[in-house]
Amino acid sequence: MASTTQVLLPGDTIPTSALPTPNNPKKPLTLGPGLRHIPPSTIVASIAGSLSTDNKKNAAWVEYNSGRYTPSANDLVIATILTSTADTFNCTLTPHTPTTSLPHLSFENATRKTRPQLPPHSLVYARIVSAPRDSPVELTCVDPSTGKSEGLGPLKGGMLFPVSLGMARRLLAGKKGGVMVLEGLAEKMGFEVAVGRNGVVWVDGGSVKNTLGIGRALQEVDREGLGERGQRKVVERVLRGL
Amino acid sequence: MAPEVLLSPLHRADGSATYTQNGYSIIGAVNGPIEVLRKDELPSEATLEVHVRPAVGVGSPKERHLETLLTSTLRSIILTHHLPRTLIQLTLQVRSIPAEDAICGVSAYLTLLPHLINTSLLSLLSSSIPLRTTVTAALVVSPTSSPTMPLVMPTAQEILRAGRIKHAHVFAFDGERKMVVCESEGSFTFEEWEEAWEVAEDVCCRDGGVGLGEAMQVDGQSENLEGWLREVVRRKVEGEQRWKSGT
Repeated sequence: MASTTQVLLPGDTIPTSALPTPNNPKKPLTLGPGLRHIPPSTIVASIAGSLSTDNKKNAAWVEYNSGRYTPSANDLVIATILTSTADTFNCTLTPHTPTTSLPHLSFENATRKTRPQLPPHSLVYARIVSAPRDSPVELTCVDPSTGKSEGLGPLKGGMLFPVSLGMARRLLAGKKGGVMVLEGLAEKMGFEVAVGRNGVVWVDGGSVKNTLGIGRALQEVDREGLGERGQRKVVERVLRGL
Repeated sequence: MAPEVLLSPLHRADGSATYTQNGYSIIGAVNGPIEVLRKDELPSEATLEVHVRPAVGVGSPKERHLETLLTSTLRSIILTHHLPRTLIQLTLQVRSIPAEDAICGVSAYLTLLPHLINTSLLSLLSSSIPLRTTVTAALVVSPTSSPTMPLVMPTAQEILRAGRIKHAHVFAFDGERKMVVCESEGSFTFEEWEEAWEVAEDVCCRDGGVGLGEAMQVDGQSENLEGWLREVVRRKVEGEQRWKSGT
């Protein structure tokens, strides 16, 4: 992180000096969420947050952590099944938004004869195939190139815990995200976790007590914005309580 | 003088803000983009719904009028074309207004409007809905006793003490110093109106021609609303990123 964070308000023009300087000058500039391009060469912020840049990918985006989840392609999400039609499931990612479709055949080993039976309100860990602006979002649970599930599919048991969108991003970012509470807990107990970019974490710790302990620890780390030492304390407290 | 703000106090709304200034206290909440009713759906842009709820009693034509003004203003601020066929719902609940508001001699809708505009912008910022620019609003009141010295963002008591009011205006400016709202009442000449406009512009917008880098330094002690807005956003960013420096 730079020593001074550049705070952006909607409508602020990004000066050329703040844009990333690519190592490979031929690489086109990529604009992430919160930035828009006004031809010929003006880059304007549309969301309040801090400017982040990546020189390697020649990318710039606005870092923010509030608001509603907006689907984008290749995001991993936890969807809730609402209804099942002839060949798709209708799922929701966030409340009060149009449903997304998950074809019956986009599960591992699914054929016309052996399609998965998922009742309403069951959870699915899925990847967003496409999120066009003008048509419904489509989900899948298989990798199209291999036909394998790669960890995606129905989530059985466990509980859902809402977290902030930024926390979900951090959890999926691995080391860069700076969340070590799960690694710390995993040293002493076994559990399964699935992180959805739509701001939910699914936890199955074997028993309700363990599941709640893990989920609450994640939510506390998110709410308090804890660093490494604070997270270690949370881990100790959770392990002591078991 | 700068308004007190708390961003995202409501955890079930997508974005929210509480705003307190001069005894006017308002809570704003934004939900969106969400599914829109078929009859309100616009094929190529987002529908905006604004609800203003008074501190006491149920809504009246005054609130409906404020809603109309806010809807048309915010439509030009939000990038509605980025969210087609969705609904953005903004609810503004007035929590309290000063007791002198009803008798100070300026229409109640004029004294409330700038606070509503500022609150709705803060709620929209908190909900991370893409915006074209920011908007800040201020009230300017000219009493008959001292027509050369307009009162800017006065408290209701100050208006009451100033005696008879000759004219009052509400101006709102976007981030490029363009006027987006102008509501006036009373009798005034064009010169008087222009003077009020200039005074309001000074309060709302930061000094002209300031680049992004320089604007960073004015936050904190700045007098204008734009600088205040930057400070609010800086605190929001700090809160979101404290895990990076936290222990």
